[in-house]
Amino acid sequence: MIIGIQAGGKAPSEKSPLIQVKHCTMEFPGVRALDDVGFTLMPGECHGLVGENGAGKSTLSKCIIGENHMTKGELYVEDKKIRIPTYSIKESQKLGIQVVHQEFQLMTDMTGLENIFIGHYQTGAGLINWKALGKKAKELMDFLQCDVNLNVPVKYLRTAEKQLIQLAKAVLSESKVLILDELTSVLQEKDILNIYRIIGILKARGMGIIYISHRLNEIFECCDSYTVLCDGRHVNSGSVSDINKAQLIKMIIGREMTQAFPPINQRFGAMMLEVKGLTAPKAFRDISFQVRAGEVIGLAGLLGAGKTELVHAIFGNHKIVGGEIFVRGKKAEIKNPRQAIRLGIGLIPDERRTLGLNMQFDIKDNTTLPSMDKFRKFKIFQDHSAEARAAFDINEKLELNYYSLWQNVKNLSGGNQQKIVIAKWMLRNSEIILLDEPTRGIDVGAKFEIYKLINELTKQGKCVVLVSPELEELIGLCNRVYIMFEGSIMDIVEGKRKTQEVIINSLLGVN
Amino acid sequence: MNTIDEKAKRYNGGWKLFLKEWVILILLLALVLICSLFLERFRTTNNIMNILRQASFTAIIAMGEFFVILTGQMDMSVSSIIGMVSIFFAGFVVKMGLPVWLALVLVLGLTVLVGIINGVLVVYGKMPSFIATLVVMNVVRGIIYLYSKGLPISGLPEGFNFMGSGYVGIVPFPVILMFIVAIILYILTAHTSVGRSFFAVGGNLEASKLSGINVKCIGILAFVFCAALTGVGALGLTAKTLAGNVTLGDELLFDVMTIVVLGGTSLTGGRGRIFGVVIGALFLQVIGNAMVLLGINTYWQWVVKGAILIVVVLIDSNTKRDIVKTKQKTQAIATEEK
Repeated sequence: MIIGIQAGGKAPSEKSPLIQVKHCTMEFPGVRALDDVGFTLMPGECHGLVGENGAGKSTLSKCIIGENHMTKGELYVEDKKIRIPTYSIKESQKLGIQVVHQEFQLMTDMTGLENIFIGHYQTGAGLINWKALGKKAKELMDFLQCDVNLNVPVKYLRTAEKQLIQLAKAVLSESKVLILDELTSVLQEKDILNIYRIIGILKARGMGIIYISHRLNEIFECCDSYTVLCDGRHVNSGSVSDINKAQLIKMIIGREMTQAFPPINQRFGAMMLEVKGLTAPKAFRDISFQVRAGEVIGLAGLLGAGKTELVHAIFGNHKIVGGEIFVRGKKAEIKNPRQAIRLGIGLIPDERRTLGLNMQFDIKDNTTLPSMDKFRKFKIFQDHSAEARAAFDINEKLELNYYSLWQNVKNLSGGNQQKIVIAKWMLRNSEIILLDEPTRGIDVGAKFEIYKLINELTKQGKCVVLVSPELEELIGLCNRVYIMFEGSIMDIVEGKRKTQEVIINSLLGVN
Repeated sequence: MNTIDEKAKRYNGGWKLFLKEWVILILLLALVLICSLFLERFRTTNNIMNILRQASFTAIIAMGEFFVILTGQMDMSVSSIIGMVSIFFAGFVVKMGLPVWLALVLVLGLTVLVGIINGVLVVYGKMPSFIATLVVMNVVRGIIYLYSKGLPISGLPEGFNFMGSGYVGIVPFPVILMFIVAIILYILTAHTSVGRSFFAVGGNLEASKLSGINVKCIGILAFVFCAALTGVGALGLTAKTLAGNVTLGDELLFDVMTIVVLGGTSLTGGRGRIFGVVIGALFLQVIGNAMVLLGINTYWQWVVKGAILIVVVLIDSNTKRDIVKTKQKTQAIATEEK
């Protein structure tokens, strides 16, 4: 407890909350992202918001800043009830709520100074008073006790320094509430400590901080209280000092682990894919692994560990400088996705809307896109009816929920869209399936169907490389998990060692 | 209830969507009807054939530009390719005395070369197509002015005139040529994988690449199609006057762009129809013809065409939203049925 505040002001119990969310329900078409969630943030408090991907953390923060409008529920900012339908990001900023994302929202060619004051330029006689701004920036940096060069374009700064500029920008606009959304996921230990220190300064000033992070250690190191969300439901809230890490993990995983995954296939065939010493600059180095027919291997790692780049490299869509790829025991030169597809490799990318599907095409055209060469009349003309039949068969098999084959894929739910991306490769009969975060942003029911599909594929003797940020998924689906840290494989876990704790430790590079 | 017929034959969006996609056809029919009712000189066979003939070569050129716009790019070099084909063809035949067929092959080869240059600059050089083709346009223009010193070359053989002004029965030859080109391109776009790849690349380049489409090849091919079809159109325009002229295409670029957009091609790529382009060309020609018949100053045509382009682009960006709405509605109904 901070004694100074208690002595000088009211007792903490008498303070009114900065933010109060009551019975918040948020529905997207087909998905209930939040279900009756409550949340309270007190002044001078750092509140950790934790949960798995898709648990509803960012949806909740988006409801608070007005980017999303909650379907049901109430939002109070400093005891003032907010009218939800007219609430907007602009209004929340006026109320003093600021967000800092891990992705940089900076103009990279402008200096730090310009970035901090963008939109808040002080002008004298119509001209920007750079002197005054410079002085103000210095005060701000002194307050945060940081030393960042504000006079060079921010693109020349280190990642951590960019984060500090974003923080400074948020603090400048006299905010009362600061939402830090996975701010530290790209930072190193030393810089994270610096962020903690700044959080301390801001807390002492009476600001409320919502801290979203995947790294549970951070919750214990810098938060006062926590709220756990699981599948859009509110699991628990309380003071961090009352719990330990094991309890927190249990709350986060929440639902009974038993029902979630089909049994892992244990009948393996011949070696399908073998990677030896694969290296790509700035992404990954010296990666080796093997997958046999009927096997699922997992790639775990934090953001920036190089997982996505690795699967793209195997698919010929990311340049490699060293290493070899063997497909079915034969050395393969894969220079572009076409060659990879011909070798029977299929990639289900992480961004299905921008990489997986053509949003202007209908279901049939999307499903048959990689297999166009298989439906030809007289070798040149496309056989549309055969294509439609094949697309129909495969989509029925995947239990796709759709209205017409000529329906645009744009308005299907996330789970259904993902099924079409998978259908593309099943129709092509690809035998090596690379799945990059296949369950991102889809609801629990659809997730389970994807799990069943993966299982189905292995039973047919296909092999799967699964990238996922959800440890539970990797443990539940994979025969073997390769853990990547900053571009190289740190650990391989299988059998009894395949537990959350072992993986988390390797993920963070703690050993 | 899940039979192939049910799910394959349902046309999502219904007749409303159909109308929206073919609105230009309805407008053309309405325009022709109004003109025939009120303008006596409009409804003569002679005039109608004249319109068709005048529209035909611009239509062929626009069908080339269609491919580039379909892939989400833009080709500004059309106007100087027309001049290049015209002057070099005349130069080869008249000055160098080459046979017509050889000159034809040579100039079409030249257009393919320009198309490849455009495509390579855009695809491999990663230049914005607007800039790359603008540069090529000026370079080509410079070369043809150097070659001809800006003077026309006349004296092409009379027989070549058939391509521009000949008749088969009562139908002008250019019109037949236009329809043959359109039908071939329709089959290409709708019934071959290469054709479908243009739509895929324009709709989502990255997704197409990850689906195994040779996006670089398709990107270049679009510019080659554009240049080659422009070449065919330019030969027709040259045949009409029997003289090579460097300024032949100077005013056509705007018309070509207008026609492509008028035909329902999305400026962001991925959506369009080859027959839409033909209809667009006819629409623009009918308006021009009606204005001439009404005795309106020809400069007004530029103003009117500009206004048409604005209106069409505005409607295009708004119908996209409507189509989404219609589809959402149908989807909602489908869910209720279950």
